Amino acid sequence: MDDTEPDLSPTPSDQNSPSPSLSISSSPSLSLPSTPSSEGVGELSLVIDAEVAQRACQEVLQKVKLQQVEGDVTDPQDRVGQDPPGPPAPALTPTVKPLKIREEVDDPEGVAPGSVKSARRRQRHNPSKQSWLLRLFESKLFDVSMAISYLHNSKEPGVQAYIGNRLFSFPHEDVDFYLPQLLNMYIHMDEDVGDAIKPYVVHRCRQSISFSLQCAWLLGAYSSDMHISTQRHSRGTKLRKLILSDELKPAGPRARRDPLTLTPFCPVTSPASGGEHSLSPSKRTHQRSKSDATVSISLSSNLKRTASNPKVESSQDEDSSSSSDSLEFEIGPPVRLAPQREFIKSLMGIGKRLATLPTKEQKTQRLISELSLLNHKLPARVWLPTAAFDHHVVRVPHTQAVVLNSKDKAPYLIYVEVLECENFETSSVPIRIPENRIRSTRSVENLPDCGMTAEQRAGSFSIVPNYDNDDEAWSVDDIGELQVELPEVHTNSCDNISQFSVDSITSLESKEPVFIAAGDIRRRLSEQLAQAPTTFKRDPEDPSAVALKEPWEEKVRRIREGSPYGHLPNWRLLSVIVKCGDDLRQELLAFQVLQQLKSIWEQERVPLWIKPYKILVLSSDSGMIEPVVNAVSLHQVKKQSQLSLLDYFLQEHGATTTEEFLTAQRNFVQSCAGYSLICYLLQVKDRHNGNILLDADGHIIHIDFGFILSSSPKNLGFETSAFKLTTEFVDVMGGPDGDMFNYYKMLMLQGLIAARKHMDRVLQIVEIMQQGSQLPCFHGSSTMRGLKERFHMSLTEEQLQLLIDQLVDGSMRSLTTKLYDGFQYLTNGIM
Amino acid sequence: MYDEIFAKENPAKNNPRFWDELFLMKVNLEYLESKLESVDGEEVQRIQDNINSLFHHCVQALGEEHQIKVVNALQTLCALFRGVHQKNKSASGFDIINMLMGFDKAEQRMKDLMERLDSLLCGDGSESLKSLCLKLLLCLVTVTDNISQNTILEYVMINSIFEAILQILSDVSSRGQHGYDAVVLLALLVNYRKYESVNPYIVKLSIVDDEPTLDGMGMVVHQALTEYNRVHSNHSLSFISRTNEAILLALYEAVHLNRNFITVLAQSHPEIDIAVTPTTPTPTTPTTPLGTTPPSLDMMNNPELPLDPNLQTSNLLITFLKYASIVMQDTKDEHRLNSARLCLIILTCIAEDQYADAFLHDDNMNFRVNLHRMPMRHRKKAVDKNIPSRPLVCAVLDLMVEFIVTHMMKDFPMDLYLRCVQIIHKLLCYQKKCRIRLHYTWRELWSALINLLKFLLSNETTLLAKHNIFHLALLVVNLFNMFITYGDTFLPTSNSYDELYYEIVRMHQVFDNLYCMVLRVSTNTGQWKEAASKVTHALVNVRAIINHFNPKIESYAAVNHISQLSEEQVLEVVRSNYDTLTLKLQDGLDQFERYSEQPKEAAFFKELVRSISLNVRKNVSLNTLSQDVLLKEFSTIS
Repeated sequence: MDDTEPDLSPTPSDQNSPSPSLSISSSPSLSLPSTPSSEGVGELSLVIDAEVAQRACQEVLQKVKLQQVEGDVTDPQDRVGQDPPGPPAPALTPTVKPLKIREEVDDPEGVAPGSVKSARRRQRHNPSKQSWLLRLFESKLFDVSMAISYLHNSKEPGVQAYIGNRLFSFPHEDVDFYLPQLLNMYIHMDEDVGDAIKPYVVHRCRQSISFSLQCAWLLGAYSSDMHISTQRHSRGTKLRKLILSDELKPAGPRARRDPLTLTPFCPVTSPASGGEHSLSPSKRTHQRSKSDATVSISLSSNLKRTASNPKVESSQDEDSSSSSDSLEFEIGPPVRLAPQREFIKSLMGIGKRLATLPTKEQKTQRLISELSLLNHKLPARVWLPTAAFDHHVVRVPHTQAVVLNSKDKAPYLIYVEVLECENFETSSVPIRIPENRIRSTRSVENLPDCGMTAEQRAGSFSIVPNYDNDDEAWSVDDIGELQVELPEVHTNSCDNISQFSVDSITSLESKEPVFIAAGDIRRRLSEQLAQAPTTFKRDPEDPSAVALKEPWEEKVRRIREGSPYGHLPNWRLLSVIVKCGDDLRQELLAFQVLQQLKSIWEQERVPLWIKPYKILVLSSDSGMIEPVVNAVSLHQVKKQSQLSLLDYFLQEHGATTTEEFLTAQRNFVQSCAGYSLICYLLQVKDRHNGNILLDADGHIIHIDFGFILSSSPKNLGFETSAFKLTTEFVDVMGGPDGDMFNYYKMLMLQGLIAARKHMDRVLQIVEIMQQGSQLPCFHGSSTMRGLKERFHMSLTEEQLQLLIDQLVDGSMRSLTTKLYDGFQYLTNGIM
Repeated sequence: MYDEIFAKENPAKNNPRFWDELFLMKVNLEYLESKLESVDGEEVQRIQDNINSLFHHCVQALGEEHQIKVVNALQTLCALFRGVHQKNKSASGFDIINMLMGFDKAEQRMKDLMERLDSLLCGDGSESLKSLCLKLLLCLVTVTDNISQNTILEYVMINSIFEAILQILSDVSSRGQHGYDAVVLLALLVNYRKYESVNPYIVKLSIVDDEPTLDGMGMVVHQALTEYNRVHSNHSLSFISRTNEAILLALYEAVHLNRNFITVLAQSHPEIDIAVTPTTPTPTTPTTPLGTTPPSLDMMNNPELPLDPNLQTSNLLITFLKYASIVMQDTKDEHRLNSARLCLIILTCIAEDQYADAFLHDDNMNFRVNLHRMPMRHRKKAVDKNIPSRPLVCAVLDLMVEFIVTHMMKDFPMDLYLRCVQIIHKLLCYQKKCRIRLHYTWRELWSALINLLKFLLSNETTLLAKHNIFHLALLVVNLFNMFITYGDTFLPTSNSYDELYYEIVRMHQVFDNLYCMVLRVSTNTGQWKEAASKVTHALVNVRAIINHFNPKIESYAAVNHISQLSEEQVLEVVRSNYDTLTLKLQDGLDQFERYSEQPKEAAFFKELVRSISLNVRKNVSLNTLSQDVLLKEFSTIS
């Protein structure tokens, strides 16, 4: 085992090429039966060199075998040399706890032999029969979820190390989902787990800026519950520092492109991180990343006094792209992480400052002006981590930002204009387009002769000012020419805008007097005012209502029109909620659970609808949330419309018989069923109407998972019902006797059965995060037990059905829901 | 040594190092200037060679490495320009050029001079030197009362220093120190023969689109106006020194000439207290925070804005509106009248610009603008400390209403009133066109306008002696016509349309009297016949409304036996009787004459520039930079 890792390091590999078959059975040293499952391994594309990996795996498995034969005794000396020189090696646990045999679950339905579960169970039953375990590890069925689970549950350093290596073979996106779990294990579990995880994390950090930052943020957030003295020296803190020091750059051949590391002979890896785990990155990441500093310098040099010179203007594009190559030599090493960290820092700074302002109005104003300043620094190599595609942020339409409803914090929602790109690390940062360019792109609105773009004007200008010292330069001809070309300077016939409306111009021609009825004008006025009932009225106390009600497509179109970047084909609009002073770790946990349940339900083909929204944890008290678009809170719906929920549905979607209504109703029911289950399983509390959104299609979406599992607001014992199901909800479903209501209950049953089937995938997420956590949702000792019990593994389907009926009945009759709404109204003014 | 120059001989004849030594000596500005003035006509001819030579060597000395020489040369040049102009006030520009540089050499000399100044301004040299260069340029630009008669400026046109000025404005630290001079210089240069010839500064200014530079220009103006507002809030009105016409002119030229500058107006930043902003150059950190663009605003240097909850967010436009509200309070003084006029002209340009209108009406950009209101007897002391935060156009409208109600005086500022009413009209046209329903208390505007009509009526004879009151009356009546005919497109509520009718019916006597008056004038023959008859036509709908509703209201009162109808009752009558009222669609209500500087405003600007020139000349003192300071600075360098 000593030489496992050093062996891995030096060999370059190619991720893209299918690795040669890694069939363990080919290795004579392992007395494993050749099984069909081993074929699957060959299909996995591996990051690490096949040969190296093979050797590593063999050794690991050998170890496992040996250890198991030796009866769970580990030789501590075996691992001394393995400890990285960076972090000092803490005292090693001389013994490894025996494998925890998980309590057996009674599964009356039984699972097909060969399935994951049976494999696991078999493994549990026969810890000595390592062959089953090995076969499982190599089987097709062995996915990230299982890997994480074994990493967490197995106390075998060998198994852990093996899984650490296997992480390389999973698709990045799959592992990314479990990043919080991985890192929490890294922070809070013993040395072996940490050592198993670290190479993978370091490797990924080298590859990706965004992964590096994700790790750094999560490490910080999940270390925060440790005691301050241990925290400083903890593994997590050290890894975080290493990442933030920006020493984990892509190593290897990239050095050739890096002008500062002039020779390929000098050590390619940084000394602090080198040595023990310098897995060479695959060639796929060898694209050269253009530094931000580069662009900034080339831009600033262009902005100098020549900026008004049309020639420079026109050549700016080539300039900054071409100059970056040469400029790279002048500036220091590219700072990979700095721009994004700076961007996030600015956003957080704004939030902190907003919190000090007393009124919403002041907050809004301040927000807008702060963002307009931020705009000056954009575009940059920064991005929204919540987005699903690579991009660069180019502009924040600052006037669109809104402060969200919150009593003492100042969360705010911003819209962000981005340009999609292939790879935000390597694609060049877009050139800044000045704000005032809007006017030239909006040429439709200008008079034709005024519709010259800045470039055109600049172009026409360049003819004029060849001032020879000749008197002829001042001839009348030139003046005439100039007047034609620069109408707004000298003539009055035309200016920046035209406001002559067409109708009044045409009416000039007719000599016949036209009569109009005063009544018509008055009627048109009231009609037009009544015509826009679906927009919300602006309320200085609730500035977000209007912004959120506006249909997303419309908002995108509107902002695109007003943006100097709007004409670019890769222009996109994103939005994000910036939370400052709030701990989003529970939100992240809830997101993971929701996401897991969603994929379980998809896999089992149950049409429950939920909408997990992305969460970015930046620290233990800050983060970002991906807003749900086209949705407003039930509170806002009720306050603005003054209608019951059903009437609002009728207003928005039409009469009960229309297809639109029926679709919306079905959406409502499917989402209600989904969220009812979520609320029950996760014990989501604080379910007032401000925390439940309604989207334009009729779905409800629960937000704010601040009170889940073992925590509830103020511990008042409110909200004892399983989930929120008011009569208004039931009315929308068509009443308690309707078909849709039965459909609702049926969906819940199906959903619970499906969830129960894959319970482990849900439990694992929560269980790992409980490690070392002080989060209120883990308060007490019964969190996990309670959660497990709510899956009711022991009940038959009939019994489950009864349970659902009881839950629904209880929730409907529950006075506490009503009481809680009243309580919220009194304390927070939420209807 | 000066005396040697004024002797006939070539001073260098006996002492080959004469010029070198000259610039090492401290300049005696007064002596040199008075010496130049004292030379009489014939002597001039004789010493001209020496003066030419002095000028030549001054220019040469500007290229010296020795900073003292440069300083002395700059000051000497200044004295030369001044002295020669003082002496030859009546002389033609060409004579002056001849005397200073010699005709044949002038072109080359001025080219050299401008190039040297340009490189000094753009170089990394001492800030004091840059300041001195700007002072020299200001001195040169203002030596004549009428800038357009300053023929030397022809060379400044050919050898543009525009780029140097822009560079100063785009750089944070240099802007802090020289921004004001640079902006004033630019404003003056733009006005050189602006109507007679092609002024390259106009052309160049109109196409600048570099944001940091434009922002910089905006910041300089913003700071100057803020300073004025601050002084005003601390002292009584009488204490206030002259309004800053030069800065206002710069703002006007930027708004009028440069389309891109409009965005700068809306660029928001916290209100800056001049006293707080450090005058010492803050070292610009080489690392740019976000990586792409260099910090471009002053506060970008400190990444965090000053954290003060009481600090209002502001922008140039808000500051300008506040400034205008102060300036407009008292228009008796000529300078103030000019400033008020210029403010209104700037507002006219803003109201005509579509982009400006867009952000004026932007519902997301709400601001609280504290306009200054004149204390008036019949008006309640401004209790509205808590004015709501609204789109900026409300502040503009407030300002217009405020002006209308506070300037109905014997010495009637007709010109300002016309501009004021036209600004309102332009804003209404925008709202109509874009269907923007502004939540504004239109009633205040209506009653202000009706009061204005009333004032015109009661002072008809005195006013008619000086002004065409019918033109103003026509504009006012047409504002009402806008509301009557197009109210459906921009009024915020259905009630507001009823209120409009209520207001017209309530004040029907004013309209009745106006109609009688214009009818009388238009039936007589006289110079106002045509103007008055236009007003009679414009009144057709207003009169239709009055004639339609008055009898209805009277009969309602009679039927219900009420002597005095309440507002609600009148509104009820109005609401129920719309359908029987027919209005005439009037042409061209939503069209307006676009602002144009030439020919209408040319005289005003000529005078304004003259006044600014005089003021700048008076205040440019090269001695402000005391020799000691300079010596101290350079002793460390050289």
